Amino acid sequence: MASLETDVLVIGGGATGAGVAWDCALRGFDTILVDRADLAEGTSGRFHGLLHSGGRYVVKDPVAADECVAENAILRRVIPDCIEDTGGLFVVTPDDDPAYGDAFLEGCRRANLPTEEIGVGEALKLEPRLNPGIKRAFTVPDGSIDAWKTVWALARGASARGARILTYHKVVDLKVEGDAVVGARVRNELTGEELDVGARFTLNASGAWAAQIVKMAGIEGVGVIPGKGIMIAMNHRLVNTVVNRCTMPADGDILVPIRTVSVIGTTDIRAADPDEIPVTQDEVDAMLDDGERLVPGFRDARALRVWAGVRPLFQDEKASGQAAADTRDVSRTHAVVDHVERDGVGRFLTMSGGKLTTLRLMAQDLVDAMCRQLGEDRPCTTTTARPPDNDDGQLYSLGARLRRREATLQEEQLICECELIGRTRLEETMRRRGTTNLDDVRRSLRLGMGPCQGGFCIYRATGILHGVGRLDGPEASASLRGFLQERWKGMWPILYGDQLRQARLDDWIFQGLLDVEHVPG
Amino acid sequence: MSHHDVIVVGTGLAGLTAAARLAEGGARVLVLAKGVGATHLSPCTIDVLGYAPDRVSDPGAALAGLGEDHPYAAVGRDGVAAAIGWFTDAMRDRYPYTGGLDRNLLLPTAVGALKPTAVVPETMAAGDGSDPVLVVGFTALKDFHAPLLADNLSRAGIAARAVELGLVPEGRVDVNSLGFARAFDDPAFRAEVAAQLVARLGADERVAFPAVLGIADAPAAWGTLRERLARPVFEVPTLPPSVPGMRVFAVLRERLRRAGVRVILNAVVGGAERAGGRVSAVRARVGLREVTYGCDWVVLASGGFASGGLELDSRWKARERALGLPVTGVPTDERFRADYFAEQPMARAGVAVDRDLRPEGHENVLVAGATLAGAQPWREKSGDGISLATGHRAAELILGAAVPSEPARAA
Repeated sequence: MASLETDVLVIGGGATGAGVAWDCALRGFDTILVDRADLAEGTSGRFHGLLHSGGRYVVKDPVAADECVAENAILRRVIPDCIEDTGGLFVVTPDDDPAYGDAFLEGCRRANLPTEEIGVGEALKLEPRLNPGIKRAFTVPDGSIDAWKTVWALARGASARGARILTYHKVVDLKVEGDAVVGARVRNELTGEELDVGARFTLNASGAWAAQIVKMAGIEGVGVIPGKGIMIAMNHRLVNTVVNRCTMPADGDILVPIRTVSVIGTTDIRAADPDEIPVTQDEVDAMLDDGERLVPGFRDARALRVWAGVRPLFQDEKASGQAAADTRDVSRTHAVVDHVERDGVGRFLTMSGGKLTTLRLMAQDLVDAMCRQLGEDRPCTTTTARPPDNDDGQLYSLGARLRRREATLQEEQLICECELIGRTRLEETMRRRGTTNLDDVRRSLRLGMGPCQGGFCIYRATGILHGVGRLDGPEASASLRGFLQERWKGMWPILYGDQLRQARLDDWIFQGLLDVEHVPG
Repeated sequence: MSHHDVIVVGTGLAGLTAAARLAEGGARVLVLAKGVGATHLSPCTIDVLGYAPDRVSDPGAALAGLGEDHPYAAVGRDGVAAAIGWFTDAMRDRYPYTGGLDRNLLLPTAVGALKPTAVVPETMAAGDGSDPVLVVGFTALKDFHAPLLADNLSRAGIAARAVELGLVPEGRVDVNSLGFARAFDDPAFRAEVAAQLVARLGADERVAFPAVLGIADAPAAWGTLRERLARPVFEVPTLPPSVPGMRVFAVLRERLRRAGVRVILNAVVGGAERAGGRVSAVRARVGLREVTYGCDWVVLASGGFASGGLELDSRWKARERALGLPVTGVPTDERFRADYFAEQPMARAGVAVDRDLRPEGHENVLVAGATLAGAQPWREKSGDGISLATGHRAAELILGAAVPSEPARAA
C-alpha cells in the first residue's frame, strides 16, 4: 500500500474542512485533506446561499447571532469575490405576530447587529414583489455567498501553500496506536487503490458524517442528528434583497437572491441517514405555499431545481443523556469535541454543529484546540489573509460574469449560454481538475445549472471532454448518462409550468434527437 | 368576423401537414400559430416507431402491437402509409425523402447511437449501412462533436474516424447550425470543404457531416459534395436549431402560400364560441388585438407540454391552452419516477380522442400531433410519425366528412 506522511490530516472537503486546511496551511502545518467525493459535494454545496447577518438567531440563539455578526464582517473582508452584498430584510407577514418585531429589535441591539425599521411602503419600493400585506420591515446586513467558490478558493489557497487536496478519497479506517489517532487508511474511490496516510494529528470535519468517522476510532456515543432541509431554486431573482420572515425560525421563511436565481428554504426534518435524504412532493408543495406568503404569485414562477442538504446538528449522549426531539431546537453554534477529555483518545478532534457563515471561526477554534494539544503556539491569521481570486477586495456583482464574457464574445465559443461559460474556461477547468466527471465540472463552473439545466451544454461538454482526451467513448457515455440521472433527481419533484416544458425539450434532445439511452457501452 | 372552412392551430409538422392537405382538397384554411413550430427543433426524420419497448425493425408491423389508446390506433397502418405517401410526394422536388413502413433505417445520432427511423431526407439516408465512416466536424460548430460520434460508432461495430475542419464562416468562432447551413449555400465554401477533404478520404468510406449542408438548396449542396468526394455523403442532425426542420418548414410553408392559405403567426388561440357540441369560432390574441375567427372545423395541432400546447400548474392540474380541452393521463400520485430513463407515468398525458381524432364532447374539433394522449414520443421514437400521420388523417377526415365517418374507416 502506498503511504503519505503529513502533520495534519483533515477529513471532509466541505466548507469546514476547506477552512481548516486553509487555516492549517497558513499556520505552516503540512496538511492533507481527504473527501470521499468532490469538494462541497455534501452539505456545503446544498445550502441556500445565505450569508447570515445573525438576525435569524437574535431572539432564539444569541450565541449563534453574535458569531454571525462578527463572521459576516470578516468574510466580507477576506473572501469578497464569493459574496454579494444583497442586504437583507426581516418582514412581518400577515400570518406573523407583530410583537416579535420588538423582540427582534431588542435582540439586534444586544448583538450589536445594525438594523433599522423601515416603513412598509419603503420596503415594497425596495422589493416590489413582496407581499403587500406585510406589517413591519427591518433592514439587516445579510448577503449571499457562493459556497462552491468559497470552498474552492480556500482549497486552492491551501494548495498554494503546499497542502494536498485529495478528493474522491474515502476514509475506510482510522489508524489508532495506543491512545492516539495516527492517521487513516483511505481508498481512492475512482481507482479502488488504498493509501495509508500517517498524520501527527487528525481533524474530523466531516459534518453530518462525523459520527461515522468517530466510530472508527472506537469512540461511542457521539451523535450527529442529520437535520434535513429542502431548498428550491427559482428561475430569476424574485427579490434582490434577502427576505426573511420576522418570526421564530420556521420552515420556508428565507428567500435568498444568489447569482441569477433565488433560493427558498428550508425545512428541518430529522433524517435517519445523511445519505438518504429524498425530497417528497408534499415538502415541495408546502415550500411553494411558504413562498406564496412572502411573494404572492410564487407558485406561478418557474422553479429550476430542488435539493436537500443535511445539517450536522451535534448531540453528545455523554453530555445530554437524551436525544433532542426537534432538530429546530438544537443550537446552530458549533463545538470542538475534545476526544482526550471525553474518551481518552489523543491527536484527534471533531468539529460538530455550525453553519457556513461561521466556517472561518469553526476552523480557527478547531486548529487552536489542536495547537493547544500539541503545545505549539501558532497564531491564526484567517481574519486577514485572503485566499486566491479575492485579491481585488471587491464584493461580487451580478453583472461581473457578463462583463467578462462580453470582452471576449467574438473570440471564444460560449458553451453554456445560461451560465455564460466559455470554451477556454471549460477546457482549463477540465485539465486543472483532471476530472472525467461532468458533475464535478458542474460544481466548479456552474455548468448546466441555469434554466435549461444542461439541455444544450452537456452534450457540448461531453464532446469537449472527449475531444481533449479526458474521456474515451464508454466513459463519455457513462458520464453523460450519469449527469442526466443526477440532474433528474433535482428536477422531477418540481416539474410543472415552464420547467416541465423545459424538461420535455431536454427529453426531446437527449432521447428523441441523440438517443443517449442507446449509445453503446 | 371572417369565416373559414377549417382553422388549423399550430405550425409544427402536424399543423402544416393538415393545412396543406386540406388546401389541396379544396378547403379554405386559416392557420393560427403562436410562432414557428417544432420543426425548428426536430431533426425531421419521420420516426414512426423505434422502440416498443425493444428495437423495432419493421415499424409497419409493430404498429398493430400498440394499445387502443395510442394515437396510431386512430390512424391505422394504411393511414400512416397514406400520410407518408403524401409527405414524400410533397417534399419530392425541393427536399426529397426516402424510406417506408417496412423497415427502419438505423441512422447515427450526434453521440453515435444508432437510431431507428422510417422515412428520412435523402441527405441522411446513407447513414444506414455498415461501410466505414469518416465523420467531418467543424471546430467552430459546438453543437456537433465528430470524434465522439466516430468513437461511439466504432464501438457499435461500424469503423469510423473523425476529422475536424477549422473553417470559420464569416470569420466567427461561434457559429450555430444555421450559420453553417448558410455558408454551405455558397458554392465557394463547399468547394473549399471538399478540397480540404479529398486527399484524406479512405477507399470505401462514407462521409458524415453535421446536418448543415445548405438551407436554401440542400439537395444542391449535398449533391456537390457527393460528386466532389465521390463517396456516399450523409447528414447527422445537430442540436437545435434544426436545419433539416427548417427546410421542411420552408417547403410546406411555400406549399401553403401557393394554395392561398393564410398563416397568421403571433396568434395565440385562447378560447372558442360553442354551440352544442360544435365550435363556431375561435378567439385569438393577435399581437395586442383580440380577434374572433368563424369556422366549420378546427384542427388543433398546438403541440404538447414541450411546445406549450399543454401545461401543468404547480398544483398539478393540466390544461390544454387553446380550447380548454380535457387533459387525461396525469397521475394523481406518482407523476415521475426517480430513474430518468424509466418510463415516466406523466409521459402519456394529453388530450384523448375518439377514432375520428375528436376530443370528448366536440363534433367538429380534431386533434393532431403532440397534443394527443397515449404516446411517449421520445422514448419510443414516434414523435414526427404521429404528427405527420394524425395531421394528415385529420385533413382526410374533414375532407371526407360529407360521408359520416364509421369505425371501419379508422381500422
